[in-house]
Amino acid sequence: MMWLSGGFIFRRGTSVYHRLDPRAKLLVSVLMFATTLLVRSLYELAGVLAFMIAVSAVAMVLKRVARTMLFTAGFSVVIFVLNFVFTRNLETSLLYAARFVAIVVSTSLFFITTSPDELEQVMKTFRLPRDVVFAFVTAVRFIPVMFLDTIQIMDAQKSRGLELEKGNVLKRVRNMIPILIPLVVNSVVRSGELAEAMESRAYGAVPKPTSLVVYRTRTTDKLVAVAAVVLFVLTAYSFYFVFPAQIL
Amino acid sequence: MIEFRDVSYVHQNGVKALDGVSLRIGSAEIVAIVGENGAGKTTLVKHVTGLLKPATGDVVVDGQDTRKTSTAALSRKVGVAFQNPDHQLFSESVEEEMSFALKNFGFAPELVEQRVRWGLELFGLEEYRKSSPLVLSGGEKKRLTLACILAWDPEVVILDEPTVGQDSIQKEKLAGTIRMLTSSGKTVVLVSHDIEFLWPMQPRVVVMKGGKILGDGPAPELMQDKRILEAARVAQPQLVEFGECLRERPEVPFADPLEARRWVEKSSR
Repeated sequence: MMWLSGGFIFRRGTSVYHRLDPRAKLLVSVLMFATTLLVRSLYELAGVLAFMIAVSAVAMVLKRVARTMLFTAGFSVVIFVLNFVFTRNLETSLLYAARFVAIVVSTSLFFITTSPDELEQVMKTFRLPRDVVFAFVTAVRFIPVMFLDTIQIMDAQKSRGLELEKGNVLKRVRNMIPILIPLVVNSVVRSGELAEAMESRAYGAVPKPTSLVVYRTRTTDKLVAVAAVVLFVLTAYSFYFVFPAQIL
Repeated sequence: MIEFRDVSYVHQNGVKALDGVSLRIGSAEIVAIVGENGAGKTTLVKHVTGLLKPATGDVVVDGQDTRKTSTAALSRKVGVAFQNPDHQLFSESVEEEMSFALKNFGFAPELVEQRVRWGLELFGLEEYRKSSPLVLSGGEKKRLTLACILAWDPEVVILDEPTVGQDSIQKEKLAGTIRMLTSSGKTVVLVSHDIEFLWPMQPRVVVMKGGKILGDGPAPELMQDKRILEAARVAQPQLVEFGECLRERPEVPFADPLEARRWVEKSSR
């Protein structure tokens, strides 16, 4: 589980992609996300996924993206089965299942290469309310903590004879109760404690607190942003005007 | 009872948590595992119940290789009370929390009731029997987790930081319970930074640092080895330190450390 979770958690890196302005990385991810919604055939989607894999290679996070894909594969199977049951169309069902993987990879690429601090700065750029930014960034920051908590809770319950992998589906779901309750309770308690700790350190005392980081967009960031927009426009154009017959 | 044979373990982040650890723990022993944070103490005890499997080497518990035995089967023999009680409490009432493992191990209902009553009495938790475990104080939660482990009467009891959040009276009670356990033939493994709690029990001490065992021996001997203790960043028990101070001052005419302490304080004024 911890191995799979690595596909969603930020780790410091030294690649060119890691060093990009977080706003440029966000733009690339948003455009990749949008492109996955525009595709209408498995061929087009394969092209988009190949592009994402190329970006992952540049960012030197190929293995972690592979974990993301593996993690989402389970959900994709459910999407495929549900679509196939209701549409009886193999290609559409496959497309929706693969599209889900592509959507997750596009967002995952942003989160695994962008630190919570950078994320905070990006959100501030969009002038979002400070409380919203803080809540969102804190939630992201606590994802690894939650995973660690889950592992420790599972260890504690397994040491009391709980066998998570035993029994039928219903029993396995019931076996998750001793994991989920402590996890939820811990999270609620932690959020309360964090709120108190923040308030005791003057959170919200002034409307505009001091910001120590000022992002300046470099030429590389501008080039990447422009290239991403041009590529998106060209791809969208080719989807609708060059190969219009592939509409499903 | 428990044997580590040249065990190594590497965490997913590449950190070598155990590095060629060989250790043998016999029946009815009290073993204290000490060392700084990140020394590998918790990783070591997680190998005993098979929660972690060694990358190299073997861990054998009561003749069973932990690689080939499930955690549930090993847990029947080895009870581990983890550091943070909030990581295991989930039931609606204290008695249900206590009976969770007993039911998992298939105990008869009468025995479950008997063991729950015994555990609650032992740790002074009878009045909370019907309360939610989540509303207990930190110290009470810690005691409940210990009671939960002792309830199924495992052969080996591993307590990870058992004194955290406990007042001095509860610590004394805990020390008494540990002595009771060893006198009834149980093996007790204590992972703790609380040297003052460990010292009076005179356990066998295993000192760890960087996933290796730096020292292994009886407390009176090992706690005087400043070289090992300093390397592992483990504080000497105050009484040992005080005894050393006394040895440096032969003019002190007292054998009793407390009386001597008063004398030293008075004479240095």
